Amino acid sequence: MPLRNTAEAYGSLAKFLHWAIVLLIVPQYFIAEAAEELPKGLERLQLMDWHKSLGMMVLLLTLARIGWKVMNRGMPGPIGEPWQRKAAAAGHGLLYLLILAQPISGWAMSSAANYPVTLFGWFQFPALVAENHDLHEALEEVHEVLFFLMVAVAVVHILAALYHHFLLKDGVLRRMLPFSRP
Amino acid sequence: MVLLTALALGPAAQDAAAVATAWTVDPAHSQLTFHPRLAGGEFAGRFERFDATIRFDPADLEHSSLLIVIDLLSALTGDTDRDAALQGSDFFQTTRWPQGTFTSAGIRSLGGGRYEATGKLTLRDVTRDVRVQFRFDPVEPSRGAARMIGASNLRRLEFGVGQGDWRSTEWLDDGVRVEFNLALRAAR
Repeated sequence: MPLRNTAEAYGSLAKFLHWAIVLLIVPQYFIAEAAEELPKGLERLQLMDWHKSLGMMVLLLTLARIGWKVMNRGMPGPIGEPWQRKAAAAGHGLLYLLILAQPISGWAMSSAANYPVTLFGWFQFPALVAENHDLHEALEEVHEVLFFLMVAVAVVHILAALYHHFLLKDGVLRRMLPFSRP
Repeated sequence: MVLLTALALGPAAQDAAAVATAWTVDPAHSQLTFHPRLAGGEFAGRFERFDATIRFDPADLEHSSLLIVIDLLSALTGDTDRDAALQGSDFFQTTRWPQGTFTSAGIRSLGGGRYEATGKLTLRDVTRDVRVQFRFDPVEPSRGAARMIGASNLRRLEFGVGQGDWRSTEWLDDGVRVEFNLALRAAR
């Protein structure tokens, strides 16, 4: 499997980034929910630190994914009717936007409450906004709403992939699967 | 030369020289902050209220002294849960020990307008020796305005700040830097 994308399939780096981002996002909801259940204290802080670090990983990997996409002009193009191509492009754009907005809103939310954001303690990200209680509360709402929007768009994304695979029986799903060949 | 001047001016000047210049702190333009490291990230908290009794003359360090009394109830970090935790028994336990006190025992020059005060810090009824490095800037000597900017690296566990889970330094470092930036005015 080539590193770079080809006209037939995504390369190994694009696939790796796609699936790594999926695997990082899925536990995020459960970690945050588990932390909410805990009394205020060290354990809760530890879980939230994991949540924040994984979120920052998602942010960095998504930026890498977009950067790699821009550098890889020869990637597999959309298949289907013009309206389907437009819908796919819009859906992917929206999904990228939400996947970026989600960690950024969480980062800003931490900054507004004067909590440091690090990548597993390796290094610290600067505060995005100044300490502000009201802003923190507002961003908490934003972070939740963005999550549900992201899930909604991701569900459409998955359904579209399954539609391609099982109903249209084209190679769209297979070209992003980790170990498949076109 | 100092001796000659003192002799020439008589006993009154000698008495005055025995106590270095007294300074009052302008709280509106002064900050006292603390900088813990949590999970590898640093954040800042501040003490909104503190009293500083400062006698300081770069030419008379022997008679210079610092006394800082911190109202621990005024500790703020930007998060109400964390602020409440700081007041609780795991940290300052302000219901029993509402104040922190630093009293200098001696001040020496480090050169270049920098100084080091050694003295005793009391928190939670535990007194330990600490060092405070600071800079003294005579901002406007003619108007009696000056700035004192400095820091001290404390070990919170020496004072028992951090009980229970917080005795561990795995997530919350033992070292906490305390910084101050004081706007001073010469008392008359």
